[in-house]
Amino acid sequence: MVDEALEVQLAALVGQPVGRGGPSIAPDPVNQPMIRHWAAAFADDNPVYTDPDAAAATRFGGIVAPPLMLQTWTMPTPTLEGIAERGGSPVAVGGGTALSVLDRAGYVGTLATNSEFEILRYLRPGEVVSSETVFESISAEKQTRMGRGRFVTWATTYTVETGEVVGRQMFRILKFDPSGVSA
Amino acid sequence: MTPTRTAPPEPRSIAVGDTLWALEVDVTATLIAAGAIATRDFMPVHHDRAYANDQGAPDIFMNILSDTGYCSRFLTDWAGPEAMVRRLAIHLGVPVFPGDRLVYNGEVTAVAVEGDEVVVVVGLRATTPLGDHLTGTATVALPAADGA
Repeated sequence: MVDEALEVQLAALVGQPVGRGGPSIAPDPVNQPMIRHWAAAFADDNPVYTDPDAAAATRFGGIVAPPLMLQTWTMPTPTLEGIAERGGSPVAVGGGTALSVLDRAGYVGTLATNSEFEILRYLRPGEVVSSETVFESISAEKQTRMGRGRFVTWATTYTVETGEVVGRQMFRILKFDPSGVSA
Repeated sequence: MTPTRTAPPEPRSIAVGDTLWALEVDVTATLIAAGAIATRDFMPVHHDRAYANDQGAPDIFMNILSDTGYCSRFLTDWAGPEAMVRRLAIHLGVPVFPGDRLVYNGEVTAVAVEGDEVVVVVGLRATTPLGDHLTGTATVALPAADGA
């Protein structure tokens, strides 16, 4: 049975921002300490990230940020107290998010399925990244191995202070109703 | 743990069918938590086992920003410091838990010279004992000649 009201609500989300209050602006500019922390976490010894002399000898001409660190710069500074009670949301969100519509419709489970990055250029220390994310599509209900669910796709555009676009990301999750399937 | 690496491939000698050096990661809770925090992803399922258990997971599991981090390392470990990752698209499968050995393999599926760059498309796959953790494709660009 198709819930007409829900379909209308979901269709209205497409093209709308996922977050409230405009683009997410990185709390800190691209910087060597966070790059070093990232490189150590993945034991990535590519010298263009942490060795100024070696980086200067490459076509980059100096230190650059790891390209797939793009998403990290604009991640919100969390309020750790109560993060578990908020279901992992890093900051308190008043009034719920756009995804609450899906939660209320019973699709309370979340599973990430796809991430796709386009890197237009590498970032240098000092640059300030902003990201803006919109709903690209919300699928019709599908039967999945997790239960009935909908694939939600959003698209993020990453820019620097000048407005130059430095990268794009497509991200897809499955929002599903776990009640109908035994684990 | 990591295979000994040789010099990066000569860009103009890269051919379809070339394999990347496998990347093997013996995953621990420390690695998962460190990756989550280094990518500023504080979701408790990536560092709090009790919380993960409450969510129905047997243990904490790796976050996606760590996946893309390891993909990036896997690509440039092979392609070298002159490489620029232009595109990465991954599809996620089974989760990665502490105790898993995560193994990345990749193969060149297309090569083209575009201007002064060699543009290489790689098909990649990361597996754990439970199956495919991720599959995907990546595009990496290299200067066509040294010092170009």
